[in-house]
Amino acid sequence: MSARRMAERRLAWLLCAPAATAMLLVTAYPMLYASWLSLFRYDLRFPDERQLVGLDNYVSVLTSEAWWQALFNTTLITLGSVSCELILGFVFALVMHRAVLGLRLVRTALLVPYGIITVVAAMSWRFAFDPTTGFVNALLGLEGAWLAERWSAFFIIIQTEIWKTTPFMGLLLLAGLTLVPVDLLRAARVDGANAVQRFFKVTLPLMRPVMLVALLFRTLDAFRIFDTVFVQTRGAQSTDTVSIVGYDALITRLNLGLGSAVSVLIFLCVLAIAALYVKGLGVDVADREAP
Amino acid sequence: MSEKREKPIERVLWGAASLLVVTYALIPVAWMVSLSLKRSADLGDDRFLPRVVSFEHYEAVFRDPQFSAALRNSIGIGAISSLAAVLLGMFAAYAIARLDFPGRRLILGAALSIAMFPPVSIIGPLFNMWRTLGLYDTWLGLILPYMTFTLPLAIWTLSAFFREIPWELERAARVDGATPVQAFVHVIAPLAAPGVFTAAILVFIFAWNDFLFAISLTSTNDARTAPAAIAFFTGSSRFEQPTGSIAAASVVVTLPIIVIVLAFQRRIVSGLTAGAVKG
Amino acid sequence: MTSSSTWFILSFAAVISMGGCQRSSPQRPKLRWYVFDEPSGAFERAAKRCSESSEDRYTIEVAPLPADADQQREQLVRRLAAGDSSIDIIGMDVIWTAELAEAGWILPWPEDLASKAREGRLSSIVDTASYEDELWAVPFTTNAQLLWYRADRVKEPPATWEQMIRMAEDLGDRGTIQAQGERYEGLTVFFISLLASAGGSVLGPDGDTVSLDEEPTRQALSIMQRLAKSPATDPSLATTREDQARLAFETGESTFMINYTFVWPSAKSNAPEVASHMRWARWPSVLEGKPSRVTVGGINLGVGAHTRHPGLAREAALCLASEHNQRLAATMGGLPPSTATLYDDPAVRETFPFADLLRETLRDAVHRPKTPLYVDVSLAISHTLHPMRDVEPAEDTERLRDAVQRALRSEGLL
Repeated sequence: MSARRMAERRLAWLLCAPAATAMLLVTAYPMLYASWLSLFRYDLRFPDERQLVGLDNYVSVLTSEAWWQALFNTTLITLGSVSCELILGFVFALVMHRAVLGLRLVRTALLVPYGIITVVAAMSWRFAFDPTTGFVNALLGLEGAWLAERWSAFFIIIQTEIWKTTPFMGLLLLAGLTLVPVDLLRAARVDGANAVQRFFKVTLPLMRPVMLVALLFRTLDAFRIFDTVFVQTRGAQSTDTVSIVGYDALITRLNLGLGSAVSVLIFLCVLAIAALYVKGLGVDVADREAP
Repeated sequence: MSEKREKPIERVLWGAASLLVVTYALIPVAWMVSLSLKRSADLGDDRFLPRVVSFEHYEAVFRDPQFSAALRNSIGIGAISSLAAVLLGMFAAYAIARLDFPGRRLILGAALSIAMFPPVSIIGPLFNMWRTLGLYDTWLGLILPYMTFTLPLAIWTLSAFFREIPWELERAARVDGATPVQAFVHVIAPLAAPGVFTAAILVFIFAWNDFLFAISLTSTNDARTAPAAIAFFTGSSRFEQPTGSIAAASVVVTLPIIVIVLAFQRRIVSGLTAGAVKG
Repeated sequence: MTSSSTWFILSFAAVISMGGCQRSSPQRPKLRWYVFDEPSGAFERAAKRCSESSEDRYTIEVAPLPADADQQREQLVRRLAAGDSSIDIIGMDVIWTAELAEAGWILPWPEDLASKAREGRLSSIVDTASYEDELWAVPFTTNAQLLWYRADRVKEPPATWEQMIRMAEDLGDRGTIQAQGERYEGLTVFFISLLASAGGSVLGPDGDTVSLDEEPTRQALSIMQRLAKSPATDPSLATTREDQARLAFETGESTFMINYTFVWPSAKSNAPEVASHMRWARWPSVLEGKPSRVTVGGINLGVGAHTRHPGLAREAALCLASEHNQRLAATMGGLPPSTATLYDDPAVRETFPFADLLRETLRDAVHRPKTPLYVDVSLAISHTLHPMRDVEPAEDTERLRDAVQRALRSEGLL
């Protein structure tokens, strides 16, 4: 290897070192630390009673109704919001693709939900559906308290997520849409394919890679849902998500042992979802960045 | 555009669809603004628009020392995190886009896994580490996780931008006797500025938005940021729900985002989509 | 030595000596008082008065916490666990005493000061600041719920829950009852008040075994079920906290409300029409002829275990909780005093026209379970009993016992 190449490599490592160090110190190390803590009975309120308990915390979590219910709720919210976002995202992308005149306006409007603080979005929808301060009930002539019932509470949580993140999906899909060659669509048209056929036969297959990447990131993002649920129900009406359960154990009860077991389990779930996408659907993420 | 010569009816339909999308995107914002302008007594009047416009909630919010402290923290922490993430991201992205070294995939892989990482999994350990190190409830205690969690975004956006830069210029500078560092600073950095700026905006939006770290790793005005302050707002008595104040504070923290979006929409869109689309 | 390392050492030395300077001049210690954010400014005034009367020995700075008790605790406990030495005085919700004491996060009071702190205060309130035969805080303000009703719709206030629900049902649309049914501390408070009124308790006298006797628990749960299923209950019971109840009552659509005393000044200023018909009575009883026993709330002032000035902090806490400052908190902030004689004070009586009723209610009010695991126990109760309309007295007595048992062993998720 030439001296020049050696120097280049050294420079490259040097340039990457600060970022790599930060990532290792703030995520990898705490994650390992969490796995270690999860093997202890360790409650900050009773610091003297710290002791090694092996896998007891995992047994405790995995046999509790609360964990499975939270996992179910999280899955429900993830599936509900991501599938709607995909469909709606396509609608948004098509609208932006076609509405040449209003593109700037539509794009700006869509960036607002993306940029707005999730807590604020969650508050806004909560107040909108509130029986006392809200306008939705008056508009629909209804009386009920939406967040007081489990299924209507899920509806509001999911719809808040959809509102907040569909624009992101729409913009990604729009970017994919512009990559579809016009000639191909024109040729299909000449061959007699109608708009629907063109979309499903030409556009969609070409957009598959972009779509899957967008889906992967949104799925993982939705699985981590915390802010919206914290603000809207705080997990009441059986709407706890895994992140809320973890937060409650770690931060509200300061039970670091039990909470860390939840943390590790959430991490494993995320790994499983990512693996499912990469292996099962063939999402090619790692190579995307190779120049 | 493939179908420039649309029928008028189609144009009207697409126009109507655009309008619908815009309305859907803006309704909750309009609702917050309207709520924040209602008088306290009108909060329960079932109307979308305020009967009488009143600024009482804004006065209340700005009189509250907790909120101004939170605003200060949010701006400070957001700005420093963006600066730090972009700086570190820039170094790494340069190496990835320009230099030939075996660790490239490793760094990208690490960035990718962090983009997918569930933050709730590390708040416990972070809390425990921070309380030992004295970082609990400090700016640095939030800047570190924000910087780390936005590094992937910064690295991606920046390496996508860096790949577009005409690097021949750098080679020319090197031929003229400049060191790689000099070439970077004098030739490339000015060209890369727009990309860097975009990455900084995206990182800032992330830090501005975060709630989980903010409520787990802070507890007072020393470092609590605006989203946490809004969620923990207090009413005018022990048990009161401060709907009006929350609405006013929400509008105040949303304004900067709207301004940023209006000013830099093209940049934000290209930054957001850079990582996912360019292969 | 290279120039950069010289620079490093020099600056390091500079930082150290600066730190030294700061430490060597503690002329007038600043005591931080962590307490919920009281908007009337009564706490700020009390802090200022005490700072002034200390003759330059200390200044008190108020560090505000969220209004919601669950969140106050969350924030504070994390800071205490982090060993924060800036926590000198803590405005402790009455339910935290055992937890903070057991974890070693607050300091016990030596007997001479403790007797000063107990002096003249209602014994049920002193009890909230005591744990394992020691006093851990000086009682400051207190709180208890009353029954509020509309005198234009009912002649006499109901004596029991059964009577109240029936009266409300007979009134039809306008008979609505407002109570707290959201899944939070308020639901636990509601349950414990019903349970105590029925003669039961959550834990045994030792504080680490489950009591929840069959008969009273069932009675309490039956009332919850009866209330939640009655057409006279607000449909949003499952998301109602104290303030939603107040707001709903102020619209004039409701006839009965279970709530704290803050609703009175609020109604007078926001809904004078409603206030003119508003009357108060003792919380309804569960068993006929047996007066209700409600849950006591309020704030005691404790001293943080990591403070650098424990002596001054105790002195300052005593000053902050003085009769004068209790009067301020009562007249400005509407917070009932802990000193019994203050209920005869003209200024206090003007704020609380129901002063006698309140004092009487407080005299035999009950304290929530005294256990360091109170938070877990309370979460177990509110999670098991929410939403109230799904409560099944027979089954839920068992479920509740199990849940509290698990909480006491600090096991499992909640």
